[in-house]
Amino acid sequence: MTWLVWRQHRNQTYLAAAALAAFAVLVLITGRQMASQYHSALTSCAASHTCGNLANTLILGTPVLSLLVTLTVVVPCLLGVFWGGPLVAREFETGTSQFAWMQSITRSRWLAVKVGWALLAAAAWGGAVSALVTWWSSPVNALNHQNFQPGQFDIQGIVPVGYALFAVALGIAAGTLLRRTLPALAVTIGVFTFLRLVIGQDLRSHYLTAVTTPFSFLHAPPSPKGSYWLVSGGVVGPAGQVANSHAHGGPGVSFGGVPVPIDNMPSACRVLVFQSPLKFGSCLAAHGYRGFITYQPASRYWAFQGIETGIFVLLAAALIAVTAIAVTRRDA
Amino acid sequence: MASSNPAVIQTCGLSKRYRKVTALSEATLTVPQGRISALIGPNGAGKTTLLRLLAGLARPTGGEVAVLGGAPRQDPAFLAEIGFVAQEIPLYRRLSAEDHIGVGAHLNPRWDAASVRQRLKGLNIPLDQTVGTLSGGQRAQVALSLTLAKRPRLLLLDEPVAALDPLARRQFLAHLAEAVAGGGLTVVLSSHLLADLERVCDHLILLAASRVQLCGDIDTVLAEHQVLVGPRKDTTAIEKAHTLVQATHTARQSTLLIRVGGPVVDPAWEAADVGLEELVLGYMGQHAGPAFSHLTSVGEDQ
Amino acid sequence: MISFRLDGRSVVPPYLQIVQQVRQALRMGVLDVGDKLPTVREVVAATAVNPNTVLKAYRDLERDGLVEPRAGHGTFVVGRPSGPPPGTHSRLARSLAQWVRGAREAGLDDESIESLLRITLQAAADEEETA
Repeated sequence: MTWLVWRQHRNQTYLAAAALAAFAVLVLITGRQMASQYHSALTSCAASHTCGNLANTLILGTPVLSLLVTLTVVVPCLLGVFWGGPLVAREFETGTSQFAWMQSITRSRWLAVKVGWALLAAAAWGGAVSALVTWWSSPVNALNHQNFQPGQFDIQGIVPVGYALFAVALGIAAGTLLRRTLPALAVTIGVFTFLRLVIGQDLRSHYLTAVTTPFSFLHAPPSPKGSYWLVSGGVVGPAGQVANSHAHGGPGVSFGGVPVPIDNMPSACRVLVFQSPLKFGSCLAAHGYRGFITYQPASRYWAFQGIETGIFVLLAAALIAVTAIAVTRRDA
Repeated sequence: MASSNPAVIQTCGLSKRYRKVTALSEATLTVPQGRISALIGPNGAGKTTLLRLLAGLARPTGGEVAVLGGAPRQDPAFLAEIGFVAQEIPLYRRLSAEDHIGVGAHLNPRWDAASVRQRLKGLNIPLDQTVGTLSGGQRAQVALSLTLAKRPRLLLLDEPVAALDPLARRQFLAHLAEAVAGGGLTVVLSSHLLADLERVCDHLILLAASRVQLCGDIDTVLAEHQVLVGPRKDTTAIEKAHTLVQATHTARQSTLLIRVGGPVVDPAWEAADVGLEELVLGYMGQHAGPAFSHLTSVGEDQ
Repeated sequence: MISFRLDGRSVVPPYLQIVQQVRQALRMGVLDVGDKLPTVREVVAATAVNPNTVLKAYRDLERDGLVEPRAGHGTFVVGRPSGPPPGTHSRLARSLAQWVRGAREAGLDDESIESLLRITLQAAADEEETA
């Protein structure tokens, strides 16, 4: 059966291998340049004692390259569309599943081998792209501490493997249930994008209870160590937390990254907003207002990677189970 | 000798319903070993459904089915004994015949690759060309050769000759008959046309309106039926002794197709043997209604 | 070795066509004792007829003592249909051909010739019966 899977898909495997190789060459060349650029910048800033400001002065990589690397966020979806969707649906459409099923092989074995290789390939390609991106980004991570941020979190580490497995499983399941390739592709793109957004935006920040740190408006907001993820921030007044007015359309101002709803601040301070942020801060502090930030510490990065990967792997497993039931129980 | 052969296919009250449609209803039939059975019926009569039930590609919603002594099942040992070629002749269009031979070699315990190559070379079908570029007749031959390479004991073919030109049809059927002559193989092949299959088949399953109308060896079935021609008169006496399959009347004459229940005693009727085509059309006309009425009411207005 | 020609439109069933063609070949001397008949497989591959049809024909011939199957070797001619030796047949065929020419010259068409032949055969049969 593996022989058949290979014979059926070897061309697209070659194509995907070529694309991966091209990407790898690009990443390896520019990554080495970037790493040496970063190290020489470190050496020179150490000599002039300006390393504290390095993140503001040094720009690593070119915008085009950064964009290309950011775009690898769609790789799992592409794998789902091109490998997952057609895997079973195409066989149903052309009737070749009936050819295979009339050989001396059970449907469950046929499916197991096909799905097994597809998932393995998805994990391999998703993992390879992620490994390249992670390596390429290591100077940027060290410099900007952004790898916990949405966007960067999604293309580095092990989560892309989970996404790739899920996307391919989703494509396979949609193709099996719909029995047509094109609708399966549409469903794959739609459901994958929706779930990634929902989980990334609404669920991820709750994997572990975020750390909340209050601060006084007399100083700048605290900056936790390393690549932390700032989840939210706000203001606590004498009567408790102040609602974020800009959530319902009111004007807001950023105090070192923390949103301050102007409408809900004491009127005495409001006039100071546009004169001097420093005076505005002192005024707020004087009226008993304090700021707070809520964040996920950098130390939790791998825990979050693990949890998110686990969620998508479990979803993938559920989809494969549905596929297996549909293929073995339903009439061919 | 033949009638004592064990049954390769045995069904009892076999039924298949899709949500609202009954595709096959209460089908009870037997196909003994070594037969080439023609599964005949108009389009939509349930031929494909029956074949798919026998191959284990669909599950019955009622009744019993035994193929080669057991229910069709997902078991490599069972699947090795069955060959099924669907009407669309599914093959991997981008693979060559030689690739398909490789697929079969990897997926079957018994595999006679040499026979496929020899057969296809004999028919001048290129082994190294992708099957998508072959003609319909060539693809059918490739599919049949591949299926026979499994050395199955039961071969199920759904409308295998429908898309073929007369020469390809003849070659295909000769190929099939030759395989059966080798021994140990039973074949069921469906068609809505009997003429193609008449000389190659020795057994008949007639489906109409999702029911089995007739099933048996063709010689036996023909011997059981007669056509009576006589002056137009009441048929109740005939219906008492025989089964009236179909009656055609003109103003003066009646033509009756009967399943014989005993000797025809009334001298007013002239009895004649019935041909296979006449018999099949008689049964189809009985059940198919308007679609076949033009075949059964010839002479009505004369 | 002979090959069979099967006419799908004939009212004669295919198995009987095979039997008749073997008998004919024996009468005409095309086949002789010791000759091998084509195997069932060969007949089937050439004519796309059901194997059981060929088997049935060969069984008929065997029952009449004309052929005999030898396990693993095929079916062989062991006897001849009763009647005159092959030479007689061709001699009679020649004189019939001559008669037909005469009848044509006399203005008879094929239909008249056939009905004349049938009437003559019938009369001969009646004569034998009464005799």
